[in-house]
Amino acid sequence: MAISQAMCTSFKKELMTATHNFTAASNVFKLALYTSSASLGAGTTAYTSSNEASGTGYTAKGAFLTSVTPTTSGTTALTDFNDLTFSTATITARGALIYNEAATSDPSVCVLDFGGDKTSTNGDFTIQFPAADASNAIIRIA
Amino acid sequence: MFSVDVKPTVGTVSVETTNNTGLSPEYWTERVVNKIVSISDNADPMVKAQAEAFKDTIQQVILLYIKQAIASDRATVAGLLEKQGHKQMADIIRRI
Repeated sequence: MAISQAMCTSFKKELMTATHNFTAASNVFKLALYTSSASLGAGTTAYTSSNEASGTGYTAKGAFLTSVTPTTSGTTALTDFNDLTFSTATITARGALIYNEAATSDPSVCVLDFGGDKTSTNGDFTIQFPAADASNAIIRIA
Repeated sequence: MFSVDVKPTVGTVSVETTNNTGLSPEYWTERVVNKIVSISDNADPMVKAQAEAFKDTIQQVILLYIKQAIASDRATVAGLLEKQGHKQMADIIRRI
């Protein structure tokens, strides 16, 4: 069991079949949190409830992300999400899955590894997305 | 024979957590400023210095108004609590 940060292989295929649309919206992509017992990686194809985190301030399937319309920097295409906060939350999570709630079967986008268990106790649990540039953005196609 | 290679990459997120409190106005100010102002490592030193100065200035302005917004919201919450007869809770909110 492990969480390996990766862009899901199925997502790469789905880019070619127009399954995903990252144009700015707040009700398409979701982020779900997972415990260290989860098994997630490049082979993850869709949202799963297996070993999903639970606790006060967190509901199953996670929360919606606000996407930022894709742009380009040099020859790299990139997109971004606004930071996501679970407030007044008591949660322990080791990683996350971004998936498309608006598409059939909740297809996965990417797996995020936090590098270790992160815990909030009756406080904020905030996922901070990287700078939206060609070197750091959360999703880049070079 | 032609082929085109593309390389999709996923960036690295960081996680901030708190216990029995929320994240500070200073944290949110830094996040806002970093979203608004991005300074290239390769920028001309003069341009870079100007951009850094601008960043510092708006950081102070944003922090001030975030704190004022928090104070306004607390005043609203405290007012509602007091109106409902919860004066002690209202006083706690005002003291935070």
